[in-house]
Amino acid sequence: MALLEVDDLRTHFFTREGTVRAVDGISFAVEKGKTLGIVGESGCGKSVTALSIMGLIPKPPAKIVTGSVMYEGRDLTKLSEHELEDVRGREIAMIFQDPMTSLNPTLTIGTQITETIRRHYDVPQAQANKKAVELLEEVRIPRADERLKDYPHRFSGGMRQRVMIAIALSCDPKLLIADEPTTALDVTVQASVLDLLDDLRHEHDMAMIIITHDMGVVAEAADDILVMYAGQIVEHASTLDLFDNPEHPYTEALLGALPQLEGEGIRQGRLTAIPGRPPDLIDPPAACRFGPRCPYAGGDSCTEQMPELRELRKGHWVRSAHPASERVRSEVPA
Amino acid sequence: MAANPTDIREEGLSVAPGSAPASGTPIRQSNLWKDAWRRYIRNRGAVVAGVIFVLVVLYCVIWPFVSPYSGNEVDFTLAKQDPSFSHPLGTDKFGRDLFTRTADGGRVSILIGFGATLAILLIGVVYGSISGFVGGRLDNGLMRFLDALYGLPYLPFAIITLAIIGRTDMWTMMVALSIASWFTTARIVRGQVLTLKENDYVRAAKAVGARWHRILVRHILPNTLGVLIIAIFLELPAVILGEAFLSFIGLGISPPDASWGAMAQEGRTTYRTHPIEIVVPSIAIASLVLCANFIADGLRDALDPRTRET
Repeated sequence: MALLEVDDLRTHFFTREGTVRAVDGISFAVEKGKTLGIVGESGCGKSVTALSIMGLIPKPPAKIVTGSVMYEGRDLTKLSEHELEDVRGREIAMIFQDPMTSLNPTLTIGTQITETIRRHYDVPQAQANKKAVELLEEVRIPRADERLKDYPHRFSGGMRQRVMIAIALSCDPKLLIADEPTTALDVTVQASVLDLLDDLRHEHDMAMIIITHDMGVVAEAADDILVMYAGQIVEHASTLDLFDNPEHPYTEALLGALPQLEGEGIRQGRLTAIPGRPPDLIDPPAACRFGPRCPYAGGDSCTEQMPELRELRKGHWVRSAHPASERVRSEVPA
Repeated sequence: MAANPTDIREEGLSVAPGSAPASGTPIRQSNLWKDAWRRYIRNRGAVVAGVIFVLVVLYCVIWPFVSPYSGNEVDFTLAKQDPSFSHPLGTDKFGRDLFTRTADGGRVSILIGFGATLAILLIGVVYGSISGFVGGRLDNGLMRFLDALYGLPYLPFAIITLAIIGRTDMWTMMVALSIASWFTTARIVRGQVLTLKENDYVRAAKAVGARWHRILVRHILPNTLGVLIIAIFLELPAVILGEAFLSFIGLGISPPDASWGAMAQEGRTTYRTHPIEIVVPSIAIASLVLCANFIADGLRDALDPRTRET
């Protein structure tokens, strides 16, 4: 049994303008010790998925309409707030996008780490302090025991994200959800934080969900990748398979929008952008949501009804009427 | 795993091998309070106001112990004396030393001022943080109730409260004045809590399992402290003025007990023949209120750098 199984999760926001279907029927599983990458553009529902798992969506206006989040045999959507608080941090921890604002400026980082430890374990302060020093050393912060007494403003962005990681790891969670952990950092720091996350994941034998819009980040870190578009999963495959044989036109377009630096048959010239914009998630079309931007759509079933998510080959799921391997030559656009 | 200095790419400066001097020499710590202090003492008006405020408070607290006279001792042979060496401010129509009596009255006025302000803060913080933190329908209800209370005029509200209690002394004055004026503080706190609870670090704390009381007490309320300190010095003059007014119209502290308002009321009858009796308590009230306002102004600029020095 997988560590985390999300089944047909639908999280909708009930606003005055209408119901926003931010997450609209997604299912996936995370195996113990594996890393799942969730990719998609802004507003496609990746963060809401993560917050729904944690039970941190703002209610109201948001609500999990249907679906289940099974974690070690327990359905997290059915737990009370009180029970969820015991799961957060202890079983599933989360780190956020912006390390500059994710630490409380009025508390020392030592306090912020030890409070989390003492929230979940009944240990004396001295022992929590020792553990905090170990954690800071583990995330490679120099002079850890001195820095415990420092306030967050004395740390750089990269170091703050390390502190956030230390806090997330403080209670040895089995699953770490990283919501765009490197987006706010510059490129060199991004690489070191990703390396660190990967090392720690192996050492602590954690599973990880890494959410990003950066294909480069998931390519390095993830075992499996889930591509989301307009609240739905459009492609789900192992990382290698996805990068070598992308099936969904959206995934192809995403990869086509990446700059290539080396390799055979390297693309030249301008990067290709995806024309159009994602659909409004209030009353989205009943047809394929990528249809209006899809170069292959037109004249067939996908303009009228939503294609099902189907298993094209073992472990490679696609929601499209026109996956790359089924296309005939005439379909290739001019 | 050991900390490997060469791995820390973004911290190269302080840990690069060979650049050891950084370790050991303490870098000058700059924190919110030191910064605020620096900004405050650069504001000359606020510093002068602060000094006067402290001097007035010290005078009121200490002088009655030191003074050779008692503020309540009546001696008609000494009535209405002009300022002299033995009576720096002269005596009132009952022959009481004004310098001593002003300190006595100041004790009561200032005690009522601080006591009521403290109560206002307490009620305001509890009410405002519940309203802002819980949000939703409760917040709406509590705020509409507050709107209704806002409609009541301040002093009549205090007078009615006093009438209901049916007794007038220092304690009932505190109660009446704080019940009539906690609304603004509650609104300020609610507004602060409302913005603070959307902070990323509140969400981050929730994500590691922090419970609601922890979030409120550790992550939200400490961040409202600056605003609360300003609120103290904004409420204080209002309360002191309210007390003075009530005592002046005879609804507050009554003779022989002194408060600045009660002294002004007594001095009212002799203002033609012996004006110093009404001038002294009036100046005392005015100086304290003015100073508190200057201090509040200075604190606001010092604690909220965004509004400073336009």
